[in-house]
Amino acid sequence: MALVEIRDVHKTFGKVEVLKGVSLDVEEGEIVTIIGRSGSGKSTLLRCINALESVDSGEIRVEGQKVHAGMPDLKKFRQRVGIVFQAFNLFPHLKVERNITLAPLLTGRIEKAKARALAEDVLTRVGLADKIDAWPEQLSGGQQQRVAIARCLAMAPHLMLFDEVTSALDPELVGEVLKVMEAMAKQGMTMILVTHEMGFARNVANRIVFMHQGRVWEQGPPAKLFANPETPELASFIASSK
Amino acid sequence: MRSFSLIDFVSLFTALRWTVALVVLARAFGAPLALGLALGRISRFAGLRWAMAACIQVIQSVPLLGLLFFFYFGMPVFLGIQVPAIIAVTVAYTLYTAAFLGEIWRGGLEAVKQAQWEAGACLGLSAWQQFRHIIAPQALRLSLPPTVGFLVQLIKGTSLASILGFVELARAGQVVSAATFQPLLTYALVAAIYFALCLPLTLWSRSLEARLDGSR
Repeated sequence: MALVEIRDVHKTFGKVEVLKGVSLDVEEGEIVTIIGRSGSGKSTLLRCINALESVDSGEIRVEGQKVHAGMPDLKKFRQRVGIVFQAFNLFPHLKVERNITLAPLLTGRIEKAKARALAEDVLTRVGLADKIDAWPEQLSGGQQQRVAIARCLAMAPHLMLFDEVTSALDPELVGEVLKVMEAMAKQGMTMILVTHEMGFARNVANRIVFMHQGRVWEQGPPAKLFANPETPELASFIASSK
Repeated sequence: MRSFSLIDFVSLFTALRWTVALVVLARAFGAPLALGLALGRISRFAGLRWAMAACIQVIQSVPLLGLLFFFYFGMPVFLGIQVPAIIAVTVAYTLYTAAFLGEIWRGGLEAVKQAQWEAGACLGLSAWQQFRHIIAPQALRLSLPPTVGFLVQLIKGTSLASILGFVELARAGQVVSAATFQPLLTYALVAAIYFALCLPLTLWSRSLEARLDGSR
């Protein structure tokens, strides 16, 4: 059984059908990168996996459990599936430590006495142990995004979703975030990313999924996909993103 | 006629207790109601949003004086209900406070980005936990200056209760002024007392604002 099973998912916003029958499996430990043009439905698909959006038809299962916004243990489910956003979404009124420990404490995952140690641990993993007492706005964009990743890691998720996490960053800050994600990939975290970073897609991902017009247009290992795209749409996408 | 004496001074300060009592009552009952109105205004149920907006609109559109008249003089006539003056003023000031604070707090809540709710939800927090720990603290800081501004208005607004016979600060000023023929002195004193009441609030709000905004 795959960790994530997506079967014939359709999703409509108003009159626009964003997802037109998407099917996709992601195995445990796999790094899957979803690429495609704006409006191809890749971010929507990611948000559906976390039940931030509900699918109109078809189904999504994570660890065998059917995912939808009204699922009975949505809160528990979200603790197992982390998501990092393009805009970081740190809590600006809380210091870095509290940003990280708020959810583990409130959900009863850890005791108060162990909170700071947990924050130190996950911050070390993103290389920001010295920023534990900083305010979010004192950090650069790249640092904020790494704190956002650490905040997710603190929940010890089984699966992590990344929604264009480097798109809002200055070019010189992209590298530090990608490095953190690469390290997580090496440690065996299952990851699904929507990204425009072709270098990362090529070098770190096990599989590339090219979405086009609400469908999975083409997928396969990066080496094969980038070298020999089967469809003209992917070929032109690769050419345009170089 | 008699000259301005210690007794007049004392009677002004005694009257102050009604001013304070009215503010405390309006705050105590009005604030929870305001929170309910604010939450109703951002609810996902359109009917509730609409009903709360209508309540706020009606109360905000009626002058405070009108509210006081209605609950004291109007209710016996229209509804056949006669309530003691203290109940009538409490209800009037409570509704007045709830409508204005409710709208101020609604603005504060809406000024916090939707993505903050989402970020909390994605970490597995309940809607209440998201509100309590993520949204409310940020909204509170944003709403603080207008909230205190409204409180200051409320303090001064209690002077209208004098028309229902409450001898609060402004009414006491009238009485003392009439007895001593010293309107200038009396009203200057009344004004000074109002000022002394409002100034600490403003200062406190500023320090609180600085404290809540720990990042700067």
